[in-house]
This record gives sequence, C-alpha cells and structure tokens, in this order.
Amino acid sequence: MLSWDIAVNRAINNAVPKVYKVLSEHPYVEELAKRLREAKLEVLNNLEKYVEETLQSVKNNGGNAYYVHDEKEAQEIVGKIVGKGKIVVMGKSMVAYELGIRKYLESLGNEVWETDLGEFLIQQANEPPSHIIAPAIHMTKESVGKLLKEKLGGVDENSKVEDMVAVVRKFLRDKFVKADVGITGANAIAADTGSVLLVENEGNIRFTTVAPQIHIAIAGVEKILPTLADAMIEPLVQSAYAGLYPPTYVNLTSGPSSTADIEHNRVRPAHGPKEFHLILVDNGRVKANKDSVLREALLCIRCGRCHFHCPIYRAIGNIWGDPPYSGPMGAMWSYIVKGDAKPAMYCVHSGNCKEVCPMRINIPRVLEHIKNLGLHSQTKM
Amino acid sequence: MYHVNNLSEIGKILVDNLNRYYMPFPVDKKVCSGWAKDLPRGGDTIIYTSCMYQIEPAVGMFLKLLPSISSFKGLMPLARLVKPSKSQLDRAYKILNNIVKALEKSGIKPGYLYEEEPYSGAILLEMGFLEEFREYAKKVVSLFKEKGAKKIITVDPHTHNALTRYQEFVKHDLEIVNYLELVNYTKKVEGEFTIHDSCLYSRFLGLREKYRGLIEKSGIKLVEDEMITGKDTSSCCGGPLGPVDLKVSEKIAENRAKDLEKLSKRLLVVCPICYVTLLPHFKGEIMDIAEVIF
Repeated sequence: MLSWDIAVNRAINNAVPKVYKVLSEHPYVEELAKRLREAKLEVLNNLEKYVEETLQSVKNNGGNAYYVHDEKEAQEIVGKIVGKGKIVVMGKSMVAYELGIRKYLESLGNEVWETDLGEFLIQQANEPPSHIIAPAIHMTKESVGKLLKEKLGGVDENSKVEDMVAVVRKFLRDKFVKADVGITGANAIAADTGSVLLVENEGNIRFTTVAPQIHIAIAGVEKILPTLADAMIEPLVQSAYAGLYPPTYVNLTSGPSSTADIEHNRVRPAHGPKEFHLILVDNGRVKANKDSVLREALLCIRCGRCHFHCPIYRAIGNIWGDPPYSGPMGAMWSYIVKGDAKPAMYCVHSGNCKEVCPMRINIPRVLEHIKNLGLHSQTKM
Repeated sequence: MYHVNNLSEIGKILVDNLNRYYMPFPVDKKVCSGWAKDLPRGGDTIIYTSCMYQIEPAVGMFLKLLPSISSFKGLMPLARLVKPSKSQLDRAYKILNNIVKALEKSGIKPGYLYEEEPYSGAILLEMGFLEEFREYAKKVVSLFKEKGAKKIITVDPHTHNALTRYQEFVKHDLEIVNYLELVNYTKKVEGEFTIHDSCLYSRFLGLREKYRGLIEKSGIKLVEDEMITGKDTSSCCGGPLGPVDLKVSEKIAENRAKDLEKLSKRLLVVCPICYVTLLPHFKGEIMDIAEVIF
C-alpha cells in the first residue's frame, strides 16, 4: 500500500467518527452552523459596506488596517511592516500561504518559522500542504520521525509521536521568545468591533499573537462577519466539524495590547504587541462574490471535513488542487484565487462533501459551474 | 497519475455524435433496443433506458481510446469496438425485462421508443458541458413531445439525474419518475449482501431509502458499516471520472472495492456504471438489484 493511502486511511478513520460523536454530543453546533451561514451571507450581500466597517473598526482600536487586491500588494505591505533581518513566527494561515508571504519575507532576509506542527513539518520537508487543517496529513508518523531526525535530531522513525512533538516544541519555544513579528490568519473577523478570532489547539497561535511586539493578521474578505457575536460562533463550528471539540484555545484580538488599570483609562500597549495590523485580501474573492454560484464557495469555513468524505481526495489528495487548497473545497478555491479549473474537472459528483459541509455548500454544483467556465474559456487547465 | 484528458476535444466529439446519432458515440441502435419485443411503440408513458444498461459494459473500451481520440479521423470504426458481448447484452436485457415485469405487476404498462430512443446527455452534464447539455436537452424534450410521451420512467441514476435537471435548462411539462418509485419487490430472496449506493440516487435524488426498503422487504439482509455504506461515507465507484482520467477513476474503484469486500463477497448495485466500474476490482459476486429482487 502506498504511503498516501496508509496516511489518509488512518486520518479518515480517526477524524470521521470523531465528528459524528461531537455533533451527537453537542447538537447545538448544527444550529450555530445555520446561523453562521446566514451571517456570512449577510456580509457577502453587502461586502463593500462590511469591508469599510471592518477597516474603520480596526483603526478605532488603535490598529492598522489595509485592503489589498492581490499577492503583490499583500507582499509589499507585509514587507514594509516586517522589514529585514527579523525573526518572524507564523501561525498557520492558508491566506498567507496563498499569497506567498513566508517565501517573500525569507527573500528579504528574514528568518521565518511556521509554528503549527503540521505546517512546520511542511516547511522542513519543503512540500506543499495536503489538508486545510492538517497540512502534513500525507506524512505517516514514520516519515515524520525520519524528517525530524534529519532536521532537528533527537528522534527517529521509530520514536513515539509524543517524543516527536516534544522535539519541535523545544525548538520553537526559542523562536517564539526571540521573534520580532507574529503573523496569523483569521478564522473570523467582526466588522462592528474589528476583532479577529482564531481557533487552535497547540498554543502556537497564542504565542504568535502575544509574544512578538508586532502582530499581523492576514485574511480574505470572506472571513468578515457582521458582529462580534456572529464571529464568536465561527471557531466553535469550525472546530466541531473538524472533530476537534472543544477547541483548546480560542483567541480574540482587538487591536494592540492594552490596559485600563490606572483610573480605567485604556492605554496601549501593555504586555502584548504594541502594533496590530489587519490585511484584508481580495485576490479573486470579490469577483467570485459577484457570481451567484461561485459565491457559495466563500461560505467555506475551512474545517476540512469534506476532504475526508471525498473519493478523489482519498485517491490523489496531496497533489489535487493548488496548494494550500486541496480537496473539494480546494477545487473551488483553486479557481477563485488561481483561475485554475483543472482540479474541478476531477469532481465525480459523489455528493458526500455537500452532505457533510457545515455551511451546506453544494460543492458538486459549484464545481460543475467551474468545469463549465473552464471548458468555455481560456482559463488555466 | 493526475493527467487530465483533452476535454474540449472530447466535448466536441460527444456533441457531434449526439447531434448525429442521439448517442455520445456511434452505436448500433439494435443493441439498445434488442431487449424489447412486446412493448408498444411510444405512448403517454414510456420506459426510458437511455441505452445505459445495454452499452455500459462496452464503454471501458471507448474510455481507453479517449486520450488519443483526436488522432482518429472518424469514430465509425470505433462503433465496432464499442459493442458489448452476447453475455453482457443478455444480462442487460434480462435486467430491463425484469424492470418491465415489476412495473407491470404494479399495474403500469409502459411503451418504448425502440431505436428512436435518444441518450439523455448525462455525460455532458457530468463533465461540465452545461451549455452543450442545455442545447441537447432541448432536442430531447422536443423529441419526447413529438412522440407523444408525457411520463418518462427512468431505470438508472445517471439518466434520472439528467432528466430531472432538464427543468433548469429548458422548460417542459414532462413527468420524470424512476422505476424504483413505482415498483415493489417481486421475488423473495434469502441471504446476505452488502450494498454499493449510487451517489446520485443516494445523495442527490432522494431514492436511497426507496431501494433499501425494497431490498430489505425482499428478505435480503444487508451487511452495513457506517464508515463504508453510510450516507455520508459511501464512496463513488469512480466511473464518472473515466472520460477525464481513467487511471484515477480506476484507483477510486479499487479503493471502493477493497472497502466493500470487508463486508461481504456478495455485492448489490443499483447503477450500470457502478457495476461495470467495480467488476474488475471486486473479489466476489456483483449483481444489480433488478437481477435479484424482481
């Protein structure tokens, strides 16, 4: 059996029953998912207004906010904020990967470290990610042990997973302490408060958002929700449908760190970052939002559940789609951000993805639409 | 792995054939109609095969030729290759006659269009040729109307799906119904089988419980596992990917067959494409439900 088959079968057999269990034990999550879909649609129906509101809200909190159209603009802004010769820690961000932020910062002479364990392994192996929340899913524990033996030492292919995690933890702790800048994505952004929500289990995002003096959050405009109350729902839904519920940490950031301990006057900064920057990204999303079928893809909350129910992903997963966008959701997103219709051509319309999608996206219909667009235009095939 | 065929070229050829023969590739229409002897020609209510059960066993040969299809000057020579064997045809004809018998037991006496029956256009829809599907659907609807058909009884999931979706592309007042919605089991059967669901019946067309009900009422015990035969987990056979990338299609079939074999060496299917796609990979017996419970 091929290593991909072994790795993905292990992941499916671990993840799928966990999601069923979580949803059965916490039935309110399905209700939250319905509410989240409605809230996201409200933003997509009035996207321009909510982008403006979000930018203003971040500024009201003492942060800096930017709207960028494409990869080049995003890289320029991040490059100006970070500068050269810095140590940068990153919390896994699909949008940062989409925009080539890590490689760009490295080209400027910065030392950049992915801190999510899976993304760290991907960085060390110099391979593309294979799953939206478990980017190193294509690696068996044996191959991880071998990789860490080469890069960090202290473990090998026969080591226990616990020991492999400990080796990376020791290595990255030093980077967190020394880092000048932390870069994250965002699971949700509240338009009314300018707050950024991030969900995680490892604790690396906490470090990334608090330890360095500068925090940059980069996110697609589709992550905006009307209110903080709406935005708070997203981490719960995302983690539940990823089978990782309750999430270990949910992080909320509203501008630079602050204190109000002297006469209740809110003063910035305090112990955390003294600068907060939010970069809102278009990169194909605004155009997709104008297409009534493609718009559905913008509702995706990146839980990665569709991957584990998709026969195509199981057959060819780690090379299906444009990194970081793999799987059924990735076949939609490869078209939105790269104009690449080829991954959509592989949809066999099994329909499992639409059955399990928390946002009720009829993914096969979106992919059918992309197939048609791809077959009748000069888009990348 | 992961080498997509020249889909634009394949699309042109499919459309050309559909316009000429009402079939996606040249086929002797007697192969399609040979199963029916005593059915009235046409009528208000017709059984509609779209030649799926009849021709599907030979489609594998066509798919193998697709990557080099643009180098063929014409497809007529292929017609000789795209022909099922006698035993394959006998099986397909038996399935269709069993379906007719089951319909008749339910008081329905359908007509049939014989060699005038058109293909549904499902392959265009499933490959993403939506504009071409729209044009072809218009032609098929006109043909049905011309023949006086009002109620169309489909017998396979791909045809049923294509026809139920015509309404999105062309307005019509045809009634589309699947035979599973009209029949009861006619034979008591003992023993265990596992089941490979049709993706379209199960997750798009709302017929999953219908055929499972018929199977269970017939006396068959279905061996199930939530991770293999659950609604959310039961995988595609891989067949619909054949025209795009045959290698990946076969890899999916191999994965699916391995999973199903864990449950039983006797497998029921409800779709002619699933049967043909899984057959080379499944180590055991595969039967269509229409071969077993009618």
